[in-house]
Amino acid sequence: MKSVVIAGYARSPFHPAHKGALARVRPDDLAAQVIRGLIERSGVDARDIEDLIVGCAFPEGEQGMNVARLVGLLGDLPLSVGGMTVNRFCGSSMSSIHIAMGQIQIGAGEVFICAGVESMSRVPMMGYNPLPNPALAEKMPGAYMGMGETAERVATKYQITRETQEAFAVDSQKKAAAAQAGGRLNDEIVPIQTKNGVVSEDGTVRPDTTAEGLAGLKPAFDKDGSVTAGTSSPLTDGAAAVLVTSEDYARAHGLPILARLKTVGISGLEPEVMGLGPIGASRKALERGGIDANALDVVEINEAFASQALACIHDLGLDTAKVNIDGGAIALGHPLGATGARIVGKAASLLKREGGKYALATQCIGGGQGIATLLEAAE
Amino acid sequence: MSEPICKVCVIGAGTMGAGIAAQVANAGVPVLLLDIVRDEANRNAVAEGAVAKLLKTDPAPFMSKRAAKLVETGNIDDHLDRIAECDWVIEAIVERLDLKQALYARIEAAKRPGTAVSSNTSTIPLGQLVEGRSDQFRRDFLITHFFNPPRYMRLIEVVAGPDSDPELVARVSDFADRSLGKTVVPAHDTPGFIANRVGTYWLAVAINAAMDQGLTVEEADQIGGKPMGVPKTGIFGLVDLVGIDLMPLLSKSLTSTLSQGDPYFDTVRPLPLVDRMIAEGYTGRKGKGGFYRLDRSNGGKVKQSIDLKTGEYHDSRKPASLPSGADRDLGKLLGVKGKVGEYAWTVLSHVLSYAAMLVPEAADDIVAIDDAMKLGYNWKFGPFELVDRIGAAKLVERLKAEGRTVPALLEQVGSGSFYRVEGGKRQYFGLDGAYHDIVRPDGVLMLEDIKRAGEPLAKTGSAALWDVGDGVACIEFTGKMNALDGEVMKLIQQAIPIVKDRFKALVIYNDGSHFSAGANLGLALFALNIAAYGEVQTLVVAGQQALKALKYAPFPVVAAPAGMALGGGCEIVLHADAVQAHAETYIGLVETGVGLIPGWGGNGEMIDRWQQSGQLPKGPMPAVAKVFETVSTATVSKSAAEAKELMFLRAKDGITMNRSRLLADAKAKALSLVDGYTPPAPPEFKLPGASGRLALRMAAEGFHKRGIATDYDLVVSDSLAEVLTGGEADLVDTVKEADLLKLEVKGFMTRVRDSRTVARIEQMLETGKPLRN
Repeated sequence: MKSVVIAGYARSPFHPAHKGALARVRPDDLAAQVIRGLIERSGVDARDIEDLIVGCAFPEGEQGMNVARLVGLLGDLPLSVGGMTVNRFCGSSMSSIHIAMGQIQIGAGEVFICAGVESMSRVPMMGYNPLPNPALAEKMPGAYMGMGETAERVATKYQITRETQEAFAVDSQKKAAAAQAGGRLNDEIVPIQTKNGVVSEDGTVRPDTTAEGLAGLKPAFDKDGSVTAGTSSPLTDGAAAVLVTSEDYARAHGLPILARLKTVGISGLEPEVMGLGPIGASRKALERGGIDANALDVVEINEAFASQALACIHDLGLDTAKVNIDGGAIALGHPLGATGARIVGKAASLLKREGGKYALATQCIGGGQGIATLLEAAE
Repeated sequence: MSEPICKVCVIGAGTMGAGIAAQVANAGVPVLLLDIVRDEANRNAVAEGAVAKLLKTDPAPFMSKRAAKLVETGNIDDHLDRIAECDWVIEAIVERLDLKQALYARIEAAKRPGTAVSSNTSTIPLGQLVEGRSDQFRRDFLITHFFNPPRYMRLIEVVAGPDSDPELVARVSDFADRSLGKTVVPAHDTPGFIANRVGTYWLAVAINAAMDQGLTVEEADQIGGKPMGVPKTGIFGLVDLVGIDLMPLLSKSLTSTLSQGDPYFDTVRPLPLVDRMIAEGYTGRKGKGGFYRLDRSNGGKVKQSIDLKTGEYHDSRKPASLPSGADRDLGKLLGVKGKVGEYAWTVLSHVLSYAAMLVPEAADDIVAIDDAMKLGYNWKFGPFELVDRIGAAKLVERLKAEGRTVPALLEQVGSGSFYRVEGGKRQYFGLDGAYHDIVRPDGVLMLEDIKRAGEPLAKTGSAALWDVGDGVACIEFTGKMNALDGEVMKLIQQAIPIVKDRFKALVIYNDGSHFSAGANLGLALFALNIAAYGEVQTLVVAGQQALKALKYAPFPVVAAPAGMALGGGCEIVLHADAVQAHAETYIGLVETGVGLIPGWGGNGEMIDRWQQSGQLPKGPMPAVAKVFETVSTATVSKSAAEAKELMFLRAKDGITMNRSRLLADAKAKALSLVDGYTPPAPPEFKLPGASGRLALRMAAEGFHKRGIATDYDLVVSDSLAEVLTGGEADLVDTVKEADLLKLEVKGFMTRVRDSRTVARIEQMLETGKPLRN
């Protein structure tokens, strides 16, 4: 099979929904700017791009229609480049990468931009017209269960105390703050033009987070529960994109290869514990790659909630020193449709930066799924 | 009148200055708020800090977020020249003559001739303020004394000096009246003007007497509060509220400016207890406590009172009830033997005599004094109205018997009264010994004046229909709290043919503090306790029919709410063609608080206006979800401006700042709709049905899990959701207004039959607080 690589990664700064600096930026404009930035930085010839695949969890309103095509037009991509919108909730843009990988391997193109976008300020979670099916709700109440409640279930099932979750959250904030302060996030961020000036830094990170401060928060989803706003990823506005090409193309055109896409995995489970999704999906990807979790040098696991991330780290037997080295979604934010592209791009970048052979990017998905991508060093 | 006031500058961003700036902004007028430079890094920090504080203050000084944006901040060193942009400069800095004079010199250099300059001083005579200023400045200068908090207190005392330009004083007064919503009371340039002069004397007399006569603070406030028409804070509670540390300051200011021989001097004496309280930080509610405090030790909240003799706190004790009638009838109160009657007499005889002495010294007539006390101290009756309630002759007789001085005005009124009604007009007793009509300012129309002069066109047990002139009729609610019941609905049905035949338009209005607190719950509870469900359903249906009859009547209907318009009161407003609301309108569909859902057509009206608003995304859910959010949480607007955001009022609805102008404005609005009026067409709805109901239930369950919604809240909100989503409606169906009304009745009656609803109604009636079952 053709070898497929990540040849570029870029994202917008991430900002808290409603109050953040990107709240007044349309998601399609946001994504278009990130894609322009990615093309310019990678040096890829835009005429070679086969398709623009954009993930979005609530594709309506300003991120509705076929937003991928509209983003391509906004971003001045050549008219010959296609556009497809993908929805797998939080796994949307990771799926866009998997699709591109498959397309390249069946000989349906050499160059793809795989992106994701979500404005949680401008399009509410559940969308504008939530119309759940009463019959399904009766048959399987978990199908529509709120994410916070699933996080509580995972915390209960794995007996993860509030203190443990808070320690994890403080750690995530510290790692992100250190990365931000050390300028280690600068390379991946495309400054975004807004009506109020250029935004070039993340607005989500809270460097002054302490365990004592978090301990004072009220439970966010269940008055008797353990999950708080401080141990959940915040509602976030953001976009991310990776350049996916055949290895042959990247080498022929001198593109900076970050990592090779090795295997992928998708796995479903009970919706009520959707946060455990990465376990099954990662095991599939690892098994398909023929490696063991302890062979991983870099892991990016999406921190939808501290409880589910901790449960997955435990079951997969991950080395915490290798997990979310520059902080995770609790600190950086989780713009649903954009996160998959961010963590695959980040895992590939980290593999290159930190050295090592294998990297894993994985995340849970509302409704009861997990998705995983295994990367290997391309040298 | 020349040059309207289009921009205002307030100098001094303390509590009063900032509050005044907020009220100017509430009127939609841009305002520049300046203060001194205290911080070189941010030279506007003082004014900016004041605005930040305003935004956090409760009750809110701003009526809307939009209003807050109209306040621009600055400092007097860099921005004083910008008063050239302003038509009125209000000075509200500290009460120091030297600082005020120095500021005026700078203002004089920067202002345009003809720009009004006023001081919010409460103590410094006007003559001293303008010393050293030019003739032009003196012409442009006056005192405008606001009361705290400026948004909520209706009084403004306006003092013109001998050189003040009458046209300019009229221009400022008109702006204060129409735009700021204040009642302008012209006062003379005498110490403390009117309200604080009487008020300070009153508090001093009442505190001294309580100490002399051995009353507890609870007893003094029981006697000196409600029976005298004083807010329930009473005397000591009021001092706690305004700050005990203000007492010596006010006293010092008055004693340094009042003429010798003023009775106020007799009240001045050392008060070691008060001195000690101030020294130890017991300055009232803003400090560690005052005459009352809340003891929060042991995790509780226990109200305590200070012992006026020992200065020790003890748990507050409710005094024995006053003898029957003494809480309403001043004659009876004064006749009570022992310390109750004695204390009441001491306070009333001194305060009423003092007030009588102040005409013409402090005001031209008794009306100004009564208005000042009613609007500046929230007294229900002014001093002269209190005299009338006792009887001037009785008062004089007892004063003479005690060998006390009788003010000339009391002597003069003799066996008569200070107010009377003659030829349907209310008149007051003048210094010339004659009665004069109380003339309302232009554009002020009160229903009480119309009622005094005539008979209603129709009347039922709870409502009446009046001719308010110019071809406009007015429905008035007359029940307790203006509660709504079958009698109101009957009157509405009676009114429609009368208005159709003999009038051009209808307004729904009353003079009360509150438009209507909603349906008569007491009546509802009575019916439910005897399981008279049929009667309840009949009333619900009758209400729907009456309100829809109003909506589709062949003439324009304008609702004119002020104060609370809750539940059914809100639904009446929702059915009017247009609304003219007082700025202080608190409106909402609060039925869920008592376990019910709106039953008089409010649900459909709210969905329709959100759907028509063009503010929401397309599809069947957004409007329904908005209404669900607002109604299931019983959200009440904190102003008319906020009511527009919540869609209880529409963008085109009018807002009147001055309560006294509401009826006239509503009438004008109704008449403006007459030409070419056609009743609205009934709305049709596309509703989401069972799927939408499930989505709303899931949202409510989230709140339940978080402990925000109670068990029964879930049940009630599901009943609401069933109506709002159209019951069994399918997305492709069209739901007619009549269908939605049927669903409303069904949902309402289901809730009415639930004992948990009855429990909620019971608690609301008993305690005024919602039961969270």
